[in-house]
Amino acid sequence: MAHKRRVHKGIERKKAIWGWIFVAPSLLFFSLFSFYPIANAFYTSLFKKDLLSLRPPKFVGIKQYTYLLTSPTFWNSVKATAIFTLGTFIPLVVFSLIFAAFIMSRKRFQKFFQMAYYSPAVLSSVVAAAIWLLILDPRGLANQFVNFLLNSPGVDHKWLASIGMVRFSTVLVYFWKYVGYFTIIFIAGMASVPRTLHEAARIDGANSWQAFWRITFPLIKPTTLLVSVVAMIQCLKTFSTQYLFVQSGAPRGPIDVITLNIYYTAIRDHRIGRASAMSIILFAIMLFFTWFQLKVSKSEEVSYM
Amino acid sequence: MKRVVMILFVLSLSLLLLGADKIELLFWTHEDPNRTEIENRYIEEFEEMYPDVTIKRVTYPSRKIQETVLTAFAAHKGPDIFNMEINDEYPYIVNGRVAPIDPKAAGYDSLQAIYGNYLEGVLDPVTYDGNLYGLPLELTNWCIFINKKYFKEVGLDPEKDYPKTWEEMADVSEKLVIRDGEILLRRGFDFRYPYYLTFLVPMVEQLGGALLSEDGKTAIINDEAWLKVLEYFKEWGPNGRNLGSPTYTNARKLFNKDNNSVAMCLTGLYQEGRIRADNPEFYESGEWMVVPFPRFENAVNDLGSAYYGHYYMVNAESSKDKQYWAWKFIAFMLSHPEEYLLKVGLIQPQKTLLESEIFKNIPYSDVFLNDMAKSHIITIHEKAPMMQDLLKEAVESVMLTNATPAFALKRLKTKMNELLEEW
Repeated sequence: MAHKRRVHKGIERKKAIWGWIFVAPSLLFFSLFSFYPIANAFYTSLFKKDLLSLRPPKFVGIKQYTYLLTSPTFWNSVKATAIFTLGTFIPLVVFSLIFAAFIMSRKRFQKFFQMAYYSPAVLSSVVAAAIWLLILDPRGLANQFVNFLLNSPGVDHKWLASIGMVRFSTVLVYFWKYVGYFTIIFIAGMASVPRTLHEAARIDGANSWQAFWRITFPLIKPTTLLVSVVAMIQCLKTFSTQYLFVQSGAPRGPIDVITLNIYYTAIRDHRIGRASAMSIILFAIMLFFTWFQLKVSKSEEVSYM
Repeated sequence: MKRVVMILFVLSLSLLLLGADKIELLFWTHEDPNRTEIENRYIEEFEEMYPDVTIKRVTYPSRKIQETVLTAFAAHKGPDIFNMEINDEYPYIVNGRVAPIDPKAAGYDSLQAIYGNYLEGVLDPVTYDGNLYGLPLELTNWCIFINKKYFKEVGLDPEKDYPKTWEEMADVSEKLVIRDGEILLRRGFDFRYPYYLTFLVPMVEQLGGALLSEDGKTAIINDEAWLKVLEYFKEWGPNGRNLGSPTYTNARKLFNKDNNSVAMCLTGLYQEGRIRADNPEFYESGEWMVVPFPRFENAVNDLGSAYYGHYYMVNAESSKDKQYWAWKFIAFMLSHPEEYLLKVGLIQPQKTLLESEIFKNIPYSDVFLNDMAKSHIITIHEKAPMMQDLLKEAVESVMLTNATPAFALKRLKTKMNELLEEW
């Protein structure tokens, strides 16, 4: 008996060693490119440091954090980030689900639709924003198109100018760029639902609508959760669209998301300590949503048995 | 065997020594096709004269180079030679990131000889703690370029009816503008956003205001002057008389096209070289002219736009050898001020050039020079780039959103003074 336990322990030990060997490269990679920068940013956030200065930085403790938490500019960034995130991730989740259901219901041109929706995701954010800047120019296609639809010639919808419109424009660009990406994830989720369940439902007399809401939707709950949390985290990290819009004359205040504020604080103001503190706060927000995802997804595990 | 090892050792040592004599200089600068053409030739000539020196010239867009240089310097990987606008370069001097000039390497007998070669005061922005940290590639002020055809088209005589005041600028623009409802198809004039330190601060100063107090400790002096300028911009924008806006394509770039999209723009003498390169037909047509930077009707100071300099600088972290050769090469490039002027339109403020017939024969050089004589250099401050961003925020909030000038000014004042504080 004791001999059997020893053999069993030996196999477990071997498996554990091989497990560590296989995991080690990714752990090393992750530590080097994720843990270290996070730890370094936290360390830097405790100092007053000029990006160009060769003088040793001055230790200030948590003063950067207390400063930020009382700074109207930082709270404006939190507000801009929240507006953008809520305004973007809800349509992203809803429409990617609709588009995925639409594509899955097609018998023909499935691949074409997948490619058409996904193609903007291949573009770099900078290129996407640059294309949209041309479209949103006062003399560009956006005004012409909307004025044609509304029969309102000569109206300037101020896509990059008024507070509401510039926020809407950033949401529009981001939605256009990422909806295809999340559609593909939903398609993968839908494809994993066993066909037998649909066939059984059809035999029982369920129509497509009922099959979707009673079978597909409950079974892709983990995918829906994944998409919503990933979309939310992506939205919290948005930068290039807002950056390019501001560079092209859009007012910064309404779209001064945290990442943009980090850029201005570090690069224009050279305050790398304060920018690091902002990035740590942003990291904490994202960590909260990751924790939230794990907590919720555990209660929403799906079994086909 | 021993002999083979010895031969290999001697060979590798010789190779190392040969390699050690080679100097490779990395030179980062902003895009300017006319300048690229002549500077690439200077590099070839210099490399021929000094075969042990190789120079790699890399260009970046003028609105991207600031962050590229900054991140490189922050990582201690900065180029050996670089140039940017002086208000972006100044923090590098203050933080000891650039090397003081080596007069001998630059071909001068002494530091005083360098000061003697340039117009008085132009080296002040790069003089710090008694050392000189840069040599000027250009000194630029902005005037108004006018497309005469569009003036004549609306019944204006460009020679007489050009705008002398900012009030006239708005009225003349109103006559020149073509709209499709609210959308501007042709702008009469538009500002050069977002270079507010260059044109907006002088507008405020014309009215007796200032960005900083004389001791540099307080920001936004004379609220009345600031309010008037912010009101002017509110009126200019889409919520006012709708004459222009930062969201339209840069007027300076469109001007050269002569495609009925802009009648006037604000730019430097170098624009002439760019018109010639972009649209020779328009350049030769004689249908463009240059007039001074306008003043406000009730201006108390007769001021043109601020002038800014681009100064060639050398990285303090480069080896002493590289610093020596970098200054030698910079001085070689700058020994061609006439070519920089004729082919690129850059004014290098060397006394001999400004007094030369070549300079006087450049069309409208007198307009620029007269206006420059009534101007001062752009705000030199360690926090100048951030100050410009705060001005951008204030101006665009009144032009594009519904912020009142009083509200925008209050916010600007608070943020500027916060910026000046140590914390």
